Amino acid sequence: MDTKLKHHPPKWPDRFLEFYCNPSRLEQIQGDAYELFYMNLEERGVGYARFRFFIHVLSFFRWGNIRRTRPSYQTYNHGAMFKNYMKIGWRNLLKQKGTTFISIFGLAAAVGCCLVAYLFIEQVWFKGMHQENKDEIYQITYTAEGENGKTTFGTIAEPISEMISEALPNVKEQTRIQIDLPILIHKNESYFQRAQYVDPGYMEMFTYSMLYGYPGALNEPEQVILTEELSEKLFGDTHPIGQEIALVSNGKEKLFKVGGVFKEFNDMEMFNFDLLVNISNRSNADLSMPIKDAWKSELWIFIQVENGTDLGDLNAGFAEMVKTQNKIDPENPYLSIQLESFNDLVKNSENIERGVVSFLAVAPQLLLAAIGTFILILAVFNYINISILMASRRLKEIGVRKVIGSNKGQLIAQFLSENLMVCFMAIVLGCLLAAFIFVPGFNDIASKNLKIDLFNDAYIWLFLGAMLLFITLVSGLYPAIYITSFKPINILKGNQQIGSKSLLTSVLLTFQFTLAIISIVAGVAFVQTNYINSNRDWGYTSADKIIVNVPSSQDYIPLKNKLSALASVTEISGSQDFVGNWIREEEIVFQDEKYEISLLNAEATYPELLDIKLKEGRMFNPELISDTQESILVNEAFLDRLGLSFPLDEKITIDSASYAVVGVVEDFHTVFFQMSIEPMAIRASPDTTFNYLTLKMTLGTAASSMQAVKKTWHETIPRGLFTGKLQTEVFDHEFNDVKGVSNILLFSAILAVVLAALGLFGLVSLNMNSRIKDFCVRKVFGADLGDLSMKLAKRYLIIWGIASLLGGGLSIVLVSTFLNSFFAFNSGVGVIPLGLGLLVLFLVIAGTVSSQIWKIVRANPATILKAE
Amino acid sequence: MGELEELILLTVGILDQEAYGVAVLEEIKNQTGRKVNISAIHTVLNRLEEKGFLKSYMGGATEERGGRRKRLFTLSATGRSAIEEVKNLRNKLFEQIPPLALDFSHGY
Repeated sequence: MDTKLKHHPPKWPDRFLEFYCNPSRLEQIQGDAYELFYMNLEERGVGYARFRFFIHVLSFFRWGNIRRTRPSYQTYNHGAMFKNYMKIGWRNLLKQKGTTFISIFGLAAAVGCCLVAYLFIEQVWFKGMHQENKDEIYQITYTAEGENGKTTFGTIAEPISEMISEALPNVKEQTRIQIDLPILIHKNESYFQRAQYVDPGYMEMFTYSMLYGYPGALNEPEQVILTEELSEKLFGDTHPIGQEIALVSNGKEKLFKVGGVFKEFNDMEMFNFDLLVNISNRSNADLSMPIKDAWKSELWIFIQVENGTDLGDLNAGFAEMVKTQNKIDPENPYLSIQLESFNDLVKNSENIERGVVSFLAVAPQLLLAAIGTFILILAVFNYINISILMASRRLKEIGVRKVIGSNKGQLIAQFLSENLMVCFMAIVLGCLLAAFIFVPGFNDIASKNLKIDLFNDAYIWLFLGAMLLFITLVSGLYPAIYITSFKPINILKGNQQIGSKSLLTSVLLTFQFTLAIISIVAGVAFVQTNYINSNRDWGYTSADKIIVNVPSSQDYIPLKNKLSALASVTEISGSQDFVGNWIREEEIVFQDEKYEISLLNAEATYPELLDIKLKEGRMFNPELISDTQESILVNEAFLDRLGLSFPLDEKITIDSASYAVVGVVEDFHTVFFQMSIEPMAIRASPDTTFNYLTLKMTLGTAASSMQAVKKTWHETIPRGLFTGKLQTEVFDHEFNDVKGVSNILLFSAILAVVLAALGLFGLVSLNMNSRIKDFCVRKVFGADLGDLSMKLAKRYLIIWGIASLLGGGLSIVLVSTFLNSFFAFNSGVGVIPLGLGLLVLFLVIAGTVSSQIWKIVRANPATILKAE
Repeated sequence: MGELEELILLTVGILDQEAYGVAVLEEIKNQTGRKVNISAIHTVLNRLEEKGFLKSYMGGATEERGGRRKRLFTLSATGRSAIEEVKNLRNKLFEQIPPLALDFSHGY
């Protein structure tokens, strides 16, 4: 009988028998076959027995024994089985409310973060996908020999549009689109607004839902269509239709009536604009323009073809257009004209110069995707750890199921279906979190208009479905396989130890801690950098100064005179660009070497007015004619770049005129701290006309006299746009930007810590529950609190140590790279962020462990040990 | 009723409560020395049950069978009377053979 345990009937014939045999006869037949196998085994040995078994299986392959149609009573009741799985899963979840909450909340937070990242990325890559006619719309582009070889351009000569109806068959609609930034005037307030000058066909091609008015409003040349945002800004609650506005473009003013208002856009629209204007109103729509100049003016042209058109039919027309263009403008010939599908505009944006999409915002996409992945990994690891421990309490159930005849596949299916339930709840909760907290918060920070659009957006369903599947499998597969691999006999005997100490748990925990440390360090380092930068010396005194714009040169002198007449203005000076903004770059020549530097053209008084600090030499003297004609000031970076020291003997050539360096000023920030300080020269130019005026006010009056300055400005230039601001405000926009990023980073750091803490709490408390007797016995024998805590905390402290090394090292590398790419001036990863990161995590561990130790302190060993 | 059918029916009768595929196979081998294929035995047993000569029930799992039950056959009343009928027929025919059927008659 010993041999029996060693040998089994051959597997494949056995399976074959099971496969073909009629289930009602299988038991008797298989039983007989087995019995004969063991008889043969005893009499004649393994080989013969196996051979005979095979022969028997074949001989049983008879008509009467073969299963034909499946008898009805044999259909497995899968529905009932899954219902049972769900019910048991549900009860299990309810039994462990705390840990279930940890899993679901963690996963939901991760789903929410990923959803925000996804929406942001979708909004970049799937622009315009809600347009009904997107498959029939094409942009006409041309290819020409550019500076860097063959280049495709999105803008094309305007007269092409007149040839379309004759040259191209099957074109349903066409529109020209020109973008402009006119000044919009309404009730004596003026604004810069993004306008698109389009043909009426635009509204036929592209579908927008209207809030007021009708899409055909553009057929009347004097009507415009506004976005909801602009309409609210201009008219507030009053009905916008029929209201009058004025647009000033190229110095010409024209009156318009509001003919319609679009419903609020989300970020999925291809075009960004505030209002649509009929293209016949363009300021440069000059019919008497010479034909060659007409061909030089370029804009976007879109066509919509009839459904099902073969695009090859259009090629003849394009060839003709190319021919015409080459004849009229032979210096700048087109190589070819082709179509770019509306759907590919984003994808091919890198290959199209002057196209509709110019900026893909890769860095924020990467940042958000990285954060989403971080949080997702943390949550999934939490879930894996906890579900292994939770399942270890159900070992008996698994054992019994196995004994009754569940096979491994069925058990895995059971665990995965429970997992699916948890993940489904997490996804639903995650969507809610995202819709009500994350997305609005992010929109606020990033001034975006993201929306979870479940009704129109098929991709988001795809994304959610993929997410559900991914999380379920990744988080559930390993626990399910691990748990179901135990032998029932060991489980039921109580021998099976399940690893709360397993290596995997430790590895996952280490990884979680590492991620948490990295995200804390990133958040803290960013905040620290922001703090240092907000107190950074700008290199000049920004207080008590107002910058105002000068729209055109004839306004310069009157404006200057009027403003200097104001009581609070002590000094006034003009400049071409202003400090705190971008400054144009010029090429200079020094000792036959060429350098690119920033060149600030200004009045001779400008540097002194701005209180730029002089280091060597002298400032300009406005009285000296030589100073206003052939002198420049330079900054320290300039000397460093050229490798010089003051005073210089040789002169510097700018634009073929030579200048003497009369002084050196200390470095100051003209642009935000994201850029390093570039070499710069200040050239004093004669007091002709400048683009900006900087006013120095009497002490402390800058903010309060802003209104007076604005009033004076408007008195001088009634139809202009005042964009004046305080010198202290020049970096406000950038400060807000980085504040947004730092908020996002801080948020993700906090979330990461919370998730790690929750996961740890779940682990420690489950661990504690299974060892509470152990601890109570120790307590009875007189172990003190320190020993007990150490016993519980030791493992986590070791993991903390490893994670500290890993996380510290990684964050020094990663976070420094990140900071350097963001700021030319940053505090780097110093002691504060690192120390804070490690400390926070340590406190989390200490807090979690002590909360569990408290349980033992309070517990009465008698009741716990008495139980059972 | 075929010869094998009769043989198996008889064996089932002999084995009384213990008749199932392998047991029938062994009994036939021991009693007659005939080796019959197990699948043939199954077929015949099933056919006999369909004809109503046998009754069956499931029972008697053993370790050798991997815990599977046997299908145990017993003679039904019809089965028993069928055997008797066959036996009677045989006897009747047998008795008609003249005693000492020697070649004397040819010797005339």
